[in-house]
Amino acid sequence: MRIAWGASVLLVASVHLGAGWQGVLPRLVFAGAVLVAFACLPLVRWAKVSALVLLGFALVGAYAVARTDEAAPASVLLDLVPRLLTAARPAPATPTLLVPGVLLVFLVALAVAVARSSFAPALGAAVLYTATALLTAGRADPHGVVALALVLLVALGWLVVDRIEAGRRLPLGRPAAVLGVLGAVTLSATVLPSAGAFEPRELVRPPVSDMAVTSPLPRLAFWAGIGDTELLRVRGPERPLRLVALADYTGATWRAASLYGPIGAVADPDLPPGARVSESTIEVTVGALGGTWLPAVGRPSAVSLDGAAVDTDSGSLVLPGELTPGLRYDVTGSTDTPDDADLLTATVPTGPAARRYVTLPGLPFSLAEYARKAVAGASTPYEKAVALEQVVRLDRKPDVEAPVGSSYARLETFLFGTTESGANAGTAEQFASAFAVLARSVGLPTRVVVGFQPVPEGPDGVRVIRGSDATAWPEVYFDRWGWVPFDPVSGTGSGPSPASKREVLDRLASIPPSPTTPPSAPPPLAQPAAPVALPPAPPAGGPPFVLLAVPLVPVLLLLALRTGHRVRLRRAGVAGAWSYVLDSLLLAGRTPRRDRAAPDIAHDIAGFAPSAVPLAAMADRSAFGPSAVVEPDAWRLAVEVRAGLRRVVPWYRRLFWSVDPRPLRRHHNRVTR
Amino acid sequence: MTTLESTAIGEDEIAAFRALHARLGDAVETAVRGKREVVDLVLVSLFAGGHVLLEDVPGTGKTTLARAVAGALGGVSRRVQFTPDLLPSDVTGTSVFDPQSAEVRFRPGPVFANVVLADEINRAAAKTQSALLEVMEEHTVTVDGVGHVVPAPFLVVATQNPIDLDGTYRLPEAQLDRFMIRVSIGYPDAEHELDVLRPGSGAGRVAGVPTVSNPHEVASFGERLGTLHVADPILRYIGELGTATREDSRLRLGASTRGLRALVRCVQVHAAARGRHFVVPGDVQELAVPVLAHRLVLTREALLAGTTTEEVLAEVLSSVAVPRPEAR
Repeated sequence: MRIAWGASVLLVASVHLGAGWQGVLPRLVFAGAVLVAFACLPLVRWAKVSALVLLGFALVGAYAVARTDEAAPASVLLDLVPRLLTAARPAPATPTLLVPGVLLVFLVALAVAVARSSFAPALGAAVLYTATALLTAGRADPHGVVALALVLLVALGWLVVDRIEAGRRLPLGRPAAVLGVLGAVTLSATVLPSAGAFEPRELVRPPVSDMAVTSPLPRLAFWAGIGDTELLRVRGPERPLRLVALADYTGATWRAASLYGPIGAVADPDLPPGARVSESTIEVTVGALGGTWLPAVGRPSAVSLDGAAVDTDSGSLVLPGELTPGLRYDVTGSTDTPDDADLLTATVPTGPAARRYVTLPGLPFSLAEYARKAVAGASTPYEKAVALEQVVRLDRKPDVEAPVGSSYARLETFLFGTTESGANAGTAEQFASAFAVLARSVGLPTRVVVGFQPVPEGPDGVRVIRGSDATAWPEVYFDRWGWVPFDPVSGTGSGPSPASKREVLDRLASIPPSPTTPPSAPPPLAQPAAPVALPPAPPAGGPPFVLLAVPLVPVLLLLALRTGHRVRLRRAGVAGAWSYVLDSLLLAGRTPRRDRAAPDIAHDIAGFAPSAVPLAAMADRSAFGPSAVVEPDAWRLAVEVRAGLRRVVPWYRRLFWSVDPRPLRRHHNRVTR
Repeated sequence: MTTLESTAIGEDEIAAFRALHARLGDAVETAVRGKREVVDLVLVSLFAGGHVLLEDVPGTGKTTLARAVAGALGGVSRRVQFTPDLLPSDVTGTSVFDPQSAEVRFRPGPVFANVVLADEINRAAAKTQSALLEVMEEHTVTVDGVGHVVPAPFLVVATQNPIDLDGTYRLPEAQLDRFMIRVSIGYPDAEHELDVLRPGSGAGRVAGVPTVSNPHEVASFGERLGTLHVADPILRYIGELGTATREDSRLRLGASTRGLRALVRCVQVHAAARGRHFVVPGDVQELAVPVLAHRLVLTREALLAGTTTEEVLAEVLSSVAVPRPEAR
């Protein structure tokens, strides 16, 4: 009764713990771990298997699951929790990430099962509940429903179990007082704001891996050259797709971030997201894209690929290894979508966090001077950005044949050249780079994004993105509003509306060298998609068979112990044979009364196990006679009795006959008595 | 003889004893019908060297049983009818002056016999009762400083009416303890009662009981049976039973060590009567009530609640774990 109560309390708590992982599987696995721990109880109590041995088994199992080739066992086990804390949230249901949860649940359940105190289940549930809250930053149980359920369950156990077991009425005062306190705590927990929740993940630096990923910027020309080739297919709202955001400029080239961590880890980007964001989810099917960059929308928050890693600052997604044609995944990301009016007076950050985005090592004077002149008269950062966009675009034409490169020299040719190849002509690479360098020189935090222009939806709802859709654009960061894209190639793009830009340009009419020509056509502005909160897709890859095998371990252990027990009985001669009969009686649910001597027992079961009668006589003679008796038939008779007993028991008893631990318990009790 | 005693009783001796036991039982049963288990108990007591107290209402065959046992055994049997005016010397014997030889001579009383039937023992005064009980224990009568040994085997079969009947003196606990077995006969079942009632059936006719043994044979078997093997678990079980009676809250007095010793002695005979050369727990369970029940004393509360020592003992038996053959 007490055990059933403890198990049910822990089952609820462990299923709740599963909220820290994706999908339903973890909940089932944790519930299984509770059951396994309670199933191990007979081993501890009756077979004298120390709880420490079980703990050792659990750790070895954990190591076997989480093992990596190069790491020592100790470091593998020590890394379990940090790995979980730095994984995506909710964590993918991979064996490695499930192991710490399973271990915790198993240990707690084992401790609760072994400790017979009535406070143990409450303590165990509290541990598991706290672990859940820490893992999910309190989001798993926002209204305290599970906590309330646990408190009620524990209180019910205190009220009912003790009374049933003690067979008497217990004073209601103590449980009622505890219940009241717990209820008050739960109530206050639900009423108090949950802001500023303790976040254990902040204590752990997400592991980053150094990936030698090359910037896709030079590939723009290549993609333009194979303009009709289908690079990928997209299903979802019309958004520009991003491959990579390049933040670091060396003066010779744009470099991609090289350190990537798991997606969904807690680290925030160096510049916070804007106040207005829209979230969208798209489904991507990779075609001839190649490379390691995963197309995504905005700052990705979830992706249905397990191995995907993200650079939190830029939101660039990479997949270790090459993208293969046919790869399909869902990606959810948020894009900053400020209103035009927001930007008019917006400022730009100047602190150390933004320094990276204005760094221009060894900027040539000509470029700085050009930028300074271009923004003369512009009073706000937004006006400067719009003016620069205009300046870069005017009198320059996109040319897929133009030389590649984004060094200062190439940009000077692009901006100031007259006759040489690439003068006043370039691909999106040069347009975006030129804008970025000029904007940085006037203090606007800027980065270059490589991606794909949004394309109209096909009849079947699929957007086919081809080589000619590849492009690059600069983005400027505004305080409160986040990264805002500009389009120095065409002046359209998905950033601020052309009308707003034209308004700014009109105001700055004296600055541009020539009157602006309005954009030829109203640009296809993207409608912000409604925030979508899709549940994370189930993890790809095979089910964690290893975890499913864990419950088998105690079963095999019990089987081995029972077999050993039987071998011992067989060696013990007639007395052992009779012990075997008594074991079988126990398993058949016919435990004889303690005052029934062997012949009485044999008489009781003679109807279906007639071999018991001669065996009982032999056994009595051997046990109580003056000299030892060797009876070669004894074991055969015992086996016959067992067979007779098995015939009359229901199927479920036969099912657990070989692994039922109760004979071990009987033996243990008899020896210790 | 000494060497023989030190060796345990053999299986051939057991077989011979079993045959003798069966003969005695059959012989007694010609007079006492349908009470084989009671007859067996009396015979157990005979071979175990103890005395039997038959307790029942009048007319159930107590006296017949005792006389039939005496008849089957052969040897000398005497009967003493206990009355309120019976004197100790009427039981043990007395010294009288013989005018012919002009000397004082001991005239043995009725206790000088192999089977003494002490009828309605609780109707005599305490002094007379205790004179008999002393002989039962000591097997010796001391008169004028001279000890006179009673013959062997010496079996006293006492009968008594239930204590609440009129005109009885209840036997003190210390004296009840001297009886090895107390058994009540009870009315026969319908079939056997019909048998007894049928004229000319021979039931109740002690004269017709054949003599199938002799006192010497019984005495030597009685000694040999004392060597029958009793395994340690059995002795421990008996000890646990005794402890359990002493710890029972309904009993003022639990089983004495003398009582437990008597139980060991009885189960030896019982096992041999079943043809076994070793004692099994079943023997103990069968004999515990007749050997121990009359030695236990209930508390006043239990007595008022209508509990009997037999009931208490049965509960004790069901609560103490019986030793079973088990591998270590």
